[in-house]
Amino acid sequence: MRKYTLIIAEKPDAASRIATALDDNGKTIRENSKDVPFFVAKNGDKEIIVASALGHLYTVTGTKKGEWSYPVFNYQWQPRWIVEKSASKIRVWLKVISKLAENATEFVDACDYDIEGSIIGYSILKYACNGKEKTAKRMKYSTLTREELKESFANLLPHLDFDLIEAGLARHEIDWLYGINLSRALTLAAKNSSCRYTTLSTGRVQGPTLKYLETREKNIRVFVPTPFWNITAKISIDDHSFDFEYGKKAIETKTEATNISATCKVREGKIDKIDIKEFQQNPPVPFDLSALQSEAYNFFKYTPIQTSKIAQYLYVNALISYPRTSSQKLPPTIGYDIILKKLCKSTLYQELAQKLLVQGALKPNEGTKVDPAHPAIYPTGDQPDKALDASEKNIYDLIVKRFLAVFGEPVLKQSVKVSVDINQNLFFMTGYRTLKEGWMKYYKPYVHSKDVSLPKLFEGKKVTVENVVLKDNFTKPPLRYNPRSLLKKMEKEKIGTKATRATVIQTLYTRKYLEGVQNMTITDLGFGVAEVLRNYCPDVASSEMTKKLEEKMEQIQLKQDTKQNVLTDAIKVLKTVTSTLKQNQTEIGVQLGQKIKQLQLDRQTVGNCNKCQTGKLVIIRSKKTGKRFIGCTNFFESTCNASFPLPQKGTIKSLSSLCKTCGYPVIKVLISQKYPWNLCLNPNCPVKENKK
Amino acid sequence: MSCKICSRQVKEKGYCNRHLKAYQNIYEKFEMWKKALEVTWMDYLSKISKNSLTGEWAKEVAKQLIEDDRRNVKEK
Repeated sequence: MRKYTLIIAEKPDAASRIATALDDNGKTIRENSKDVPFFVAKNGDKEIIVASALGHLYTVTGTKKGEWSYPVFNYQWQPRWIVEKSASKIRVWLKVISKLAENATEFVDACDYDIEGSIIGYSILKYACNGKEKTAKRMKYSTLTREELKESFANLLPHLDFDLIEAGLARHEIDWLYGINLSRALTLAAKNSSCRYTTLSTGRVQGPTLKYLETREKNIRVFVPTPFWNITAKISIDDHSFDFEYGKKAIETKTEATNISATCKVREGKIDKIDIKEFQQNPPVPFDLSALQSEAYNFFKYTPIQTSKIAQYLYVNALISYPRTSSQKLPPTIGYDIILKKLCKSTLYQELAQKLLVQGALKPNEGTKVDPAHPAIYPTGDQPDKALDASEKNIYDLIVKRFLAVFGEPVLKQSVKVSVDINQNLFFMTGYRTLKEGWMKYYKPYVHSKDVSLPKLFEGKKVTVENVVLKDNFTKPPLRYNPRSLLKKMEKEKIGTKATRATVIQTLYTRKYLEGVQNMTITDLGFGVAEVLRNYCPDVASSEMTKKLEEKMEQIQLKQDTKQNVLTDAIKVLKTVTSTLKQNQTEIGVQLGQKIKQLQLDRQTVGNCNKCQTGKLVIIRSKKTGKRFIGCTNFFESTCNASFPLPQKGTIKSLSSLCKTCGYPVIKVLISQKYPWNLCLNPNCPVKENKK
Repeated sequence: MSCKICSRQVKEKGYCNRHLKAYQNIYEKFEMWKKALEVTWMDYLSKISKNSLTGEWAKEVAKQLIEDDRRNVKEK
């Protein structure tokens, strides 16, 4: 009978790479069983089969099937196909893995070396491979390059990292308990009140995140600006114009500002003081996932989840190291010079990599954050097998340039602060000059020098005042969150993990608690949910409780606490919370039901009624004919009969804009495989008449 | 009892907790406006209700206070 080592990888792409790397000839045979791929490799006298998961194949679910109530505290781990209708493919997948496990003599877990990867491997070995988690060995690697995979297979860890797995299982189980109980409490309360089903959700991380957004939005909506004034002077020095600012940046009264401005209405001033300083700017630190997501949003406006996906693609194609890391360290074992030599093969990076190679000793400027499982993100130096698309190229370039920059020398800069006396009023300007480019030459175009060249200056030099401008200003409200700043806030508050934060933000959009990307604005429904959490279970919406739970889960990993203890404590808290929610179910339902109705009405509203001027035009479906049309909300009060026909196919979207010709609302019609078009509701719009 | 501006429950001074916070802000910031521009209470309300940086709830309170004042003047 055929005997082999069975390796479990996290995804089919990774399985293929592992098999190819471990095969003596660098070739792998792709086999299929019931459309499930696995890869066969020859390694010395060993036959190896690399099968893969498809992400998580097992999940937490309640023990009682079909029961939709709360509280729920009994759960078990089950194959995902039993729990999720959309995961039916997993049933066959698991059967094939079980079949392959029957003849395997040795088992190796080669899933990503982090909490999620460890759980994926552990659950497959435990449930699909008949309890092989106890004897299986572990491959640990940070890149999918041939060299590292071979090295990792030659030095297998003797067993799985059970402490990491325990902490991961606790995280999944606690998240499930929080999610299922709180989400059901909200959904059922709203359903009982409004008789409509809308999925509402919250959880251990979602609750506090929503609270940050709610607090910020409230601060914006109650904001009252206060006036202040500032004065700038355009000053000409040796035929070059420079903008100088009055010493007091915010003048609080108009009288004072006007008086100062009036005394500055002279043609001449003189340089009062020149203060020259030199300073160094150290290189940036290597990328951890959050910093990469933040920088990618900054330069390319990619959302955190987009960046994660692109980075994952680059990792699976062995172009970068494992991206879901919180480390800012680059240990010498990754082989700095080997990576740089590989990068020299690329025309894009050859010159820069060469410069570092001749620089001598390579020492990265590391940050303080560590990750026990992986180093910071770095390029492997390997060339892509196939062309990258624009977004992949952007992220790859950012990672390579950051990697190069961390080895650069500090930037040496000079600041020149000049003060000019205009009739005994001091105005200031600071110019910068780069004396030594250092690491900045490696990180272009992601860094700018912002140099301002100044003419020859000396104290007492006469200058010409071109004009003095007094400007009215107002204090500004706090900025709305964007994906970058929200992610930073979550990280600062230590809620969620590097792998889950982006998904939590995405869920807030899916649940319609949030809208807008650049300016994240909480919706009325979001306000409703945040308010319910604050009034009835404030602990759930507080960062404190989530932070404590995160700490406890870390303690499990460090063997300072047990999964059982942490779960017992979490259930104790949840019992109190769910009981309060149940007692106040009616009130909560009324509160949320109204918001849901409003949200649905808003989604159907296309604009204001031009006929009665008070009603709203909404999309209505006729009960008689089943056809849709637009009617006025005042029709139900028998005060307006405005109605307009609608195309019966496709999706209708409100544009919140009016026709420039007739002033009627305009909608967008989207039909699959056709170009979307804008439609003015007015059947007699002159534009339509002209077309006829 | 519901808020003077929205249908939410009154917390204090005839306002719900959202509009109350806006009212408190309006009240607190008046001193700075008075010092800066030597404006009267009504001028101040008019200016902030038209300022694009004023928050939505603060604008609603400012407009309501202006409206209240007009009504009081008429009644007198």
